[in-house]
Amino acid sequence: MTIMMPAPDQAVLGRRAEIVAALRAIVPGEGVIDKPAEMLPYESDGLTAYRQPPMVVVLPDTTEQVSKVLKYCFEQGVKVVPRGSGTSLSGGSLPLADGVLLGLGKFKRIREIDFDNRVVVTEPGVTNLAISQAVAHAGFYYAPDPSSQIACSIGGNIAENSGGVHCLKYGMTTNNVLGCEIVLITGEVVRIGGKSPETSGYDLMGIITGSEGLLGVVTEVTVRILQKPETARALMVGFAQVEAAGECVARIIGAGIIPGGMEMMDKPAIHAAEAFVHAGYPLDVEALLIIELDGPSVEVDELIKRVEAIALGCGSTTCQISNSEAERNLFWAGRKAAFPAVGRISPDYLCMDGTIPRGALPRALARIRELSEKYGLGVANVFHAGDGNLHPLILYDANKPGEMDKAEAFGADILRCCVELGGVLTGEHGVGVEKRDLMPEMFSEIDLNQQQRLKCAFDAQGLLNPGKVFPVLHRCAELGRVHVHGGQLAFPDIPRF
Amino acid sequence: MDTLKVRDAADVEQVVRAALANEQPLEIIGHGSRRTIGQTMATNALLDLSTLNAVTDYEPNELIITLQAGAPLADVLSLIDAKNQQFAFEPMNTAPLLGLPDTGTVGGMIGAGLAGPRRIKAGGARDHLLGAQAVSGFGDSFKAGGKVVKNVTGYDLCKLLAGSWGTLAVMTEVTLKVMPKPESESTLVLRGLDDVTANRAMTAALGSPFDVSGAAHVPNSAFRSGDRNGLGGLGLSGQAATLLRLEGFAASVAHRAGTLGHLLAPFGTAERIDDAASEAIWAAVRDVGPFAADGALGAWPVWRIVCPPASGGALGAGLARETGGDVIYDWGGGLIWTALPPTPDAQAALIRERVNAAGGHATLLRASEDVRRNVDVFHPQPGGLAALGERVRHSFDPKRILNRGRLIRGSAA
Repeated sequence: MTIMMPAPDQAVLGRRAEIVAALRAIVPGEGVIDKPAEMLPYESDGLTAYRQPPMVVVLPDTTEQVSKVLKYCFEQGVKVVPRGSGTSLSGGSLPLADGVLLGLGKFKRIREIDFDNRVVVTEPGVTNLAISQAVAHAGFYYAPDPSSQIACSIGGNIAENSGGVHCLKYGMTTNNVLGCEIVLITGEVVRIGGKSPETSGYDLMGIITGSEGLLGVVTEVTVRILQKPETARALMVGFAQVEAAGECVARIIGAGIIPGGMEMMDKPAIHAAEAFVHAGYPLDVEALLIIELDGPSVEVDELIKRVEAIALGCGSTTCQISNSEAERNLFWAGRKAAFPAVGRISPDYLCMDGTIPRGALPRALARIRELSEKYGLGVANVFHAGDGNLHPLILYDANKPGEMDKAEAFGADILRCCVELGGVLTGEHGVGVEKRDLMPEMFSEIDLNQQQRLKCAFDAQGLLNPGKVFPVLHRCAELGRVHVHGGQLAFPDIPRF
Repeated sequence: MDTLKVRDAADVEQVVRAALANEQPLEIIGHGSRRTIGQTMATNALLDLSTLNAVTDYEPNELIITLQAGAPLADVLSLIDAKNQQFAFEPMNTAPLLGLPDTGTVGGMIGAGLAGPRRIKAGGARDHLLGAQAVSGFGDSFKAGGKVVKNVTGYDLCKLLAGSWGTLAVMTEVTLKVMPKPESESTLVLRGLDDVTANRAMTAALGSPFDVSGAAHVPNSAFRSGDRNGLGGLGLSGQAATLLRLEGFAASVAHRAGTLGHLLAPFGTAERIDDAASEAIWAAVRDVGPFAADGALGAWPVWRIVCPPASGGALGAGLARETGGDVIYDWGGGLIWTALPPTPDAQAALIRERVNAAGGHATLLRASEDVRRNVDVFHPQPGGLAALGERVRHSFDPKRILNRGRLIRGSAA
């Protein structure tokens, strides 16, 4: 493990028995877990390279209990790490040795389905997919669809502002959430937004979404649901050069077509996926695009023709068009199984998550190839090509001494490259612990200080999920100081009227 | 009053730092086209961004444009229109409603965050602001967000800046998402529905898979301002009009217009209005044409109410009955514009009571300065939420240098 977490507070660890007892008084029975063997499942999340047993696990099942737990921790100066389903790929819910791990797994109830207002009000532990399933009988669904949607919780989706294959057209979590109930570290319960299309005042829902569990604990969520498109069809297009595939993506967007999804895989990813699921992917191409169009069939049929023509114009070498749901699902099967497929060809892999401007794709790929040679590690690339979100999978073997460090250094170089090309460190997985120390690549100290001041407005003691997102933690008092430049009594030399 | 025309972000930093030293709050303006919205401010110097007006970068294929905050909105709209692109959230032009010159900047558009009819499908200003460079009340220039469509790196400060009315930071540059303009559009019009029935028709349309991108209802009384309301011939038949917009590829629009018409048959036979005529109708809905400052209701105060969409019809009809005012519905009932016969408090107590009961919020968007002195322009929030909002504001501008007092009555002192 190369990323350091804050040093455990020995005084807090010394009071462990007392803290466990106090939590038991709030959450009775099996809701407090303190036996090391039983805490094992909570040691890690989707970023499995990092593990840390928490001091204690608490699983409340009411907002009141969450409030009391947080108030107790606030008063006692105990750190808290919130956790949903534990599928974060950036270590967002990695426990702390001296911290309470607050699991929301018991918040499993959908509270209200309101078709007239096109919203679902739900507890945060409900899975992403369960929301869509609960409204499917009326033809509705919840649009953001992260690959982990069968397992990941909607509360976790809020924390990470999760995306998915369809967010090119339908937006990320932040574009599909209307309100929440949030418990602050002081135990105070605040309701933000609701069924109205906009909140009043500052857009606090917008800042809570994607805040990676650093601002509060969400105990209820109101999400927007949409009516399913009438139909969807997909094209699977192969190219002899990656550059041509990149050009095809740009031209489709340039033609005013926003596909429901537009995914790219490179040769190693195609081969791994095909060997795993036998989706009929062409093996002699350098890049494969899967382009899905959705809407009324008259629209989809028309756009399929337009996209096919654009692809041909870009020199596509193969093109298959789905003629049935079974065929469309088969096209997707390989892409959706790309991560486990790569897991079969390599003992371990690191999944990166940078975003670049679409047009920079060929340059980013060339750079990734160079880095692959430099580090002597293989890489398979899958992308959300429509929005420039890269997922290079770096192949390594954790049992070989030094190889994990090498893989992490390779990954960091890829993310630096994304920033250099005008992009960002993370498109949908979050900063967490994984990218924490790279934040200065993208943000100046002033930028990071402003973000941390906002954190202070919610959690002045820094007790919620410390060690995530920010490489250096400042005290709120120090951040809040205004430096008045003495003697500067008049407005400076600026044109005035 | 000093007007400081800043030339770059460094100038903005200097002005804010000097204001901090002098403890002198600043009013932030672009063209000043929305200065009459909000509480009376305690500022005696203007920070004027109108010369910070360059297009930094426009890449149509990336669906992104980066602009200095003072860029004139009209010019920017022409620029992207030439590439057949648009801001999908359909920013409202407040000039006709407020009776101010038809100007305005990109920074003002984001700071106000007033989205038009397509908000129900495409989201609001907050959903289209990808990145910003801004100067905080500490006098420091900071970066928010990025220049790509998909980004979760750090807190999403852009969401806070959109709709913050210049009270958190002075935006100097913004990166916005642009989207392709639809190839064609059609509007289905149902006539003669009462507000509650119209609300049900809009709910049915928005709950269909036909991708409705506008759902508005103009009751008959709102046509009293005659033909100046921009709604063309719609008012001539003396009947309420329920409007449903479909946009996209021509064949798709035609198909959806047919199937949606069938779906809505229980509400009457829909007539269809296409392309330019349809565009004109939605521009009038967006800018609240029937309540325009130069129309019959020009002297009446105007509230902008946001509420759960399916409860809009009952709420609006009740308000019209109780106040003797007029209402217009957008966002399928989720946005209600209401113009009320003038009173010293714009009937704020009644409006707020009814709106709170419906789970919504109300902003007094148009009113004289005298009325605004007596009334909370922005919706008062419950204690905990208000306190959290104030702590957030404080984290950007602890000395209340920027637009002091604009959002909360009595906070200007």
